[in-house]
Amino acid sequence: MEASTAKRRKLSHGGGGPAFLAGASSGSASSALIEATQELVNDVQVDYGQAFEGVDQTLRQFKETIEALEPHDPELITKITASFQKNEKITVPYPNPRPAKDSPYKLSFAKPSQVNVVGSYQLRTMVRSQPDMSVDMIVVMPASIFQDKDYRDGRYFLKRSYYCAYIAAGIRKSAPSFDIAFDHLEGNQLLPVAVVRPKGTKSDKKGYAIRIIPCAPDGLFPTAKLGLTSSNTKDSTKPTPFYNSTLRAESLFVPYLRLLNNAAKSCPAFREACMLGRIWLQQRGFGSSLSEGGFGHFEWAVLVALLLQGGGRKGEAVLSSALNSSQLFKATMQYLALTNLQKKPVVFGSQSAPDSLRQNGPVVWDAAREHNLFFKMTSWAVNFLQQQAKWSLAGLKSDSLDQFDSLFVVKVDQMLQTFDLVVKIRSTAQCDDSGGDTSRGVAWDFAERLHRVLKRALGDRAQLVHAVLPKHTAWSVTANPPGKKGGDILIGVVTDPSLVARKMDLGPSVEQKEEAAKYRDFWGEKAELRRFQDGSILESIEWNLDSERSIPEQIIRYAAKKHFTLQGDDLSFFGANSFSKVAHLSYSDAQYFSAARQGFESLEKEIREVEDLPLHVRQVAPVAPELRYASLHPPSPASRLPMDIALSFEASGKWTDNVAANQRLKMAFLLKLGASLGETNPEIKTHIGLEQVNHDSRNIAFLDVSYEDGFVYRIRLQSDVDEKILETQLRNKQLDRQALQDAAESLAICKRLYTNLPLHSQTLSTWCTRYPPLSDSIRMLKYWFSCHRLASHFNEELIELFALRAFITPSPWQVPTSAMTGFLRAIHLIARWDWIDEPLVIDHSESITAADRSAVSAQFHELRRQDPRMNRVVLFVATSHDTTGTAHTRNGPSRVVANQMTKLARSTCEAVKNKGVDLDPRSLFQSSLKHYDVVIRLNSKVLKAMMRDDGSKHSQFKNLDKLHGESGPLPLIELPAKTLAKQLNAIYSNAIVFFRGAGDDNIIAGLWNPEIGTRTRKVDMPCAYKPDGEGESLQVDREAILSEIARVGGDVIEKIEVKGTQ
Amino acid sequence: MAEQPAADDFSVLPITLPSLPSYPVQSTHFVYLRKNAKVVTKSDARSLFLVNVPADSTELHFRAVFASLVGAGRFEGITFDHNAKAPTTSHEPAYALRLAALGKRKRQDQEAQHKQDEEAAQLPKLWTRQTHRSGSTAVVLLADEKSVELVLKAVRKLSKTKKYPIWGDGVGDKAPPLGSQWLKAHNKLSYPGNDAMQDMVDAYFTVFNRKELEAAQLARAMQNEPDEDGFVTVTRGGRTAPARQEEAEEAKRKMLERQQKKKDETQNFYRWQLREKKKAEQVEFLKRFEDDKSKLKAMREKRRKIQPDS
Repeated sequence: MEASTAKRRKLSHGGGGPAFLAGASSGSASSALIEATQELVNDVQVDYGQAFEGVDQTLRQFKETIEALEPHDPELITKITASFQKNEKITVPYPNPRPAKDSPYKLSFAKPSQVNVVGSYQLRTMVRSQPDMSVDMIVVMPASIFQDKDYRDGRYFLKRSYYCAYIAAGIRKSAPSFDIAFDHLEGNQLLPVAVVRPKGTKSDKKGYAIRIIPCAPDGLFPTAKLGLTSSNTKDSTKPTPFYNSTLRAESLFVPYLRLLNNAAKSCPAFREACMLGRIWLQQRGFGSSLSEGGFGHFEWAVLVALLLQGGGRKGEAVLSSALNSSQLFKATMQYLALTNLQKKPVVFGSQSAPDSLRQNGPVVWDAAREHNLFFKMTSWAVNFLQQQAKWSLAGLKSDSLDQFDSLFVVKVDQMLQTFDLVVKIRSTAQCDDSGGDTSRGVAWDFAERLHRVLKRALGDRAQLVHAVLPKHTAWSVTANPPGKKGGDILIGVVTDPSLVARKMDLGPSVEQKEEAAKYRDFWGEKAELRRFQDGSILESIEWNLDSERSIPEQIIRYAAKKHFTLQGDDLSFFGANSFSKVAHLSYSDAQYFSAARQGFESLEKEIREVEDLPLHVRQVAPVAPELRYASLHPPSPASRLPMDIALSFEASGKWTDNVAANQRLKMAFLLKLGASLGETNPEIKTHIGLEQVNHDSRNIAFLDVSYEDGFVYRIRLQSDVDEKILETQLRNKQLDRQALQDAAESLAICKRLYTNLPLHSQTLSTWCTRYPPLSDSIRMLKYWFSCHRLASHFNEELIELFALRAFITPSPWQVPTSAMTGFLRAIHLIARWDWIDEPLVIDHSESITAADRSAVSAQFHELRRQDPRMNRVVLFVATSHDTTGTAHTRNGPSRVVANQMTKLARSTCEAVKNKGVDLDPRSLFQSSLKHYDVVIRLNSKVLKAMMRDDGSKHSQFKNLDKLHGESGPLPLIELPAKTLAKQLNAIYSNAIVFFRGAGDDNIIAGLWNPEIGTRTRKVDMPCAYKPDGEGESLQVDREAILSEIARVGGDVIEKIEVKGTQ
Repeated sequence: MAEQPAADDFSVLPITLPSLPSYPVQSTHFVYLRKNAKVVTKSDARSLFLVNVPADSTELHFRAVFASLVGAGRFEGITFDHNAKAPTTSHEPAYALRLAALGKRKRQDQEAQHKQDEEAAQLPKLWTRQTHRSGSTAVVLLADEKSVELVLKAVRKLSKTKKYPIWGDGVGDKAPPLGSQWLKAHNKLSYPGNDAMQDMVDAYFTVFNRKELEAAQLARAMQNEPDEDGFVTVTRGGRTAPARQEEAEEAKRKMLERQQKKKDETQNFYRWQLREKKKAEQVEFLKRFEDDKSKLKAMREKRRKIQPDS
């Protein structure tokens, strides 16, 4: 038991009582997680010898080249730049603003005081999967080329740029086998660096890059001048914290290198924790560069190192160096999630937070090095980072190993999976000078203002507003740095589902003069004064609920126009709204669902009030998806399609001990109920209907109750003794196999109808109330299943459970907040589910214990052992109510169909991931008919006519109808197209696998079963066969079968298309 | 019939299928037929065994086919396989069923009356026209044994003349239509009307109650009546009436419940109980850890390397 030693290792030595240990070491079940992370670390380990073959030599060569470069004395900037660019054909990558023509500054070059390798190559914390492998080589510029005042007005950066260009020129000359380009270090436009790649490695293998980073010697400028509140531009007195921190960081490469090396030496698991952190960040799209949030591997490593030294409430160490890597990771995650990083500065290494640290952005102050570690982060980036940490932690709490994938394997960084609404903003010339610190770049500045305005405009409708900046790219040494214009800015919004569709926004009262003025100022003419029923007079805004555009879209458009003069074309919207439109979901559907629900409730009341029933009503349970807000189409009174209800009576001795007789007894009770309901309420018409007459021991009859001009409900009655009798029959060893199978089937139907479905319905409607987007997510998912013609193979309940699962275990994201995110996560879940080897466990009432889980898994393995080819049950889905796992998957899907489902879900996920926001939602719901062998097109006209006319003969004269006692039009037993599909399936199930969408799909597609081929025996044929040429063998008679289908379907079938003939 | 090994004694009867607007292909359906091999009753000798009858077959269709082969008047009837195999469920009270095996037959004169009752209790049909599973079988009854030979001869001749009978020719409107009317009629038949159903249920329970009564009488009678070998059948229950099965089960369940309750009350009381419980938890915990480990192992085997998605 090696793994448990890690658990038992004493945790408290080293550091005085680590504060976050309790959380880190709690999960005893996490030992498996530890193993898994260990495995991961081993697997992503980079083979440095192979990946960086010969790099050490190259580095040494570069070092020698740089140190041998010819120094020169200071010369005027304009002059030297001109001559340099002419001689070397290299454009010096000066930052904005570029030096003026009459600039008095002088530039020089001198031998660097130090050339060193830093970063993750040196620390050996790279991982295989990282997008680019680069070695950071710092070139410490000598203090001699700088003057005391060079920290002001970007003078340092001018000199640095020139130094960088000079080195680049030198390297290009001495190492012709390398490509050289400029890039901005971490997207910071003040810091150009030279990126050197071995020629010709871009395509083959991954290749590596060497970044040559000029930097400042320690203590070049007084730290007092580079605090967060100092101003270092000549035009203004506003503080320039970003500029200052950038400059400060220039001289901190070596001190941080020392810090990390010390941490790695004192804490054996440090390196691995850094790798875990790198993977976690990378899967979430975080990186050191400005556009990736400014929190990458370096910041993570420094944070862990700092936490190993201090950071607790009294300055004690938060982490102990004795922790293993996953504990370090977990505790750091906890620190990120729980520390207040946004409101007030966090200080390491000093007790008090100096006033000078107050500023807008987040501050994590490393007192020993007097530096703000988070200086590249914006408020939204910190917020997003903390949210991600929280979501991951929520996942970590729930279960052990199942969360591993969501922590490290799943690619979380997907706009549409994360946000409900994404706005792409073309930031053309939106860079008017706002004063202050513009050194971060124009796009950055614009994004910050935009974010502020949109966040305020959306208010509590949005839980999270995030901005994504365009990525920085390298450029050729002969070109100018990429221009002023930024690319497109993406704003992602996570909405609050309960508030997002609020029609009216209320502002301050008219009496609060100051606030009202501010409100008016922000909203302009859109704000109106209104008097409300309670007498208050408030500033308010009314949004249009019936518009094509969703309310958040209206708000964003308005605010962007008002504050940034952005026009319609500058903004493009992606996300929830367009998905809902594609799936034909409308906010007004809700009223139909609640109407159906109300109808049900009044029916229940009426049933309970019937007095002369022979038995007492125990429960009236809704069963139909329409009654739990989960049907693809909202219920409509015009459709004549009944909604299912299960009715059960109190236990009684009136039932007989014969299942078949009980079915007739039910019929008698239903007739009695129908008569009584009709008597008490003349608006109710009842029809007794038969669902099947071939199996005497299964339910035969139901009662359709239709309200005049209203909904139709279908009541099925439970006889409580049936299950017991059937169970006894199953135990009876004397019965023959046929009878036993029949009893087992009857029992399963019984259980499903009267136990599983009512419970499922109840659960689902509870969750739909708790999570408003669940209902639409389910419907969208059903639409997807229907579009891909899988719906006919799946019980609707199963699809609902998939969607529910996405809401219950949302990690690595948060609980879905719109139909789109719910839908995409459910698809993601389906795509990742390996149903051959894993059961799906959905614990919706949080009642499944660990023991239950292992029982479920044992049951699953037993099932697979008995039926390894999965002929009977393919999907295994256990819920809190049903741990057998087969309640909803007994009759389908088959393995072929389940494979198809996974394949389609995977390609949908791929499209979502690769296309990002440019995805056309319609493409996810389009399915080609090309790959089917047979396509049966139904005649929609005939079908529609059938739906109108129910086949009961109406007399030409209205009054004669009445005489007959005909009680209104009959309900539909089910949709005619569905009946036909069922009949075809019953006839040809051995020969063809039929695929069909939801009820109104007018196409039945089919694939010939590949498992039946030629045969010689003429008895026991699975389907029609014809003689194959001269010999004895027979082959499937496809033409005869299709001709038969055409005859059976008659006028309902418009056309049968066969693959290859059209 | 499956036990007959000779597969080659089947004759092939091709039937031309006319093309349809929705599937404009003229094709041929092949029915395989032979003499009924298992001759038990007299009528077996004059019947033919058919394999692979079309799914939409009716008696009318086959009457027309046979008329075209050997002329009218030779075809008597057809039994489709799936009609014969309809599951038979007993509708008698469960213990009546058990006793019936021991009891005596009822009097003949009552039988007729009862039969009538039972027919009234039958469920109505839901389809105007029953379809058959593709590739299923049927038995055709012909007028006499000579007709059988005639048919087989005619079928053999077909392979030369190529004048195959045409499916549906001569049936016309006589067979109930398929397609939309068929589906519509199904909807109508599924709602037979509340009054009709009431009558059916009433009839059913007249029969059922009678049987129940008979069974009770029989049981009581058999309690102390030795059979021909001199044995007395032991039935459940006391002197008044035999017990019902559920009652016995209920009693057993109650007993178990009482036992369980007693056991529950004395849990977590002694220290050794707590100690044992703790021990059990530890074992459980270890097991879970092993489970996780094996899960991890399975994961490892499945995808040799754990890699973050790109």
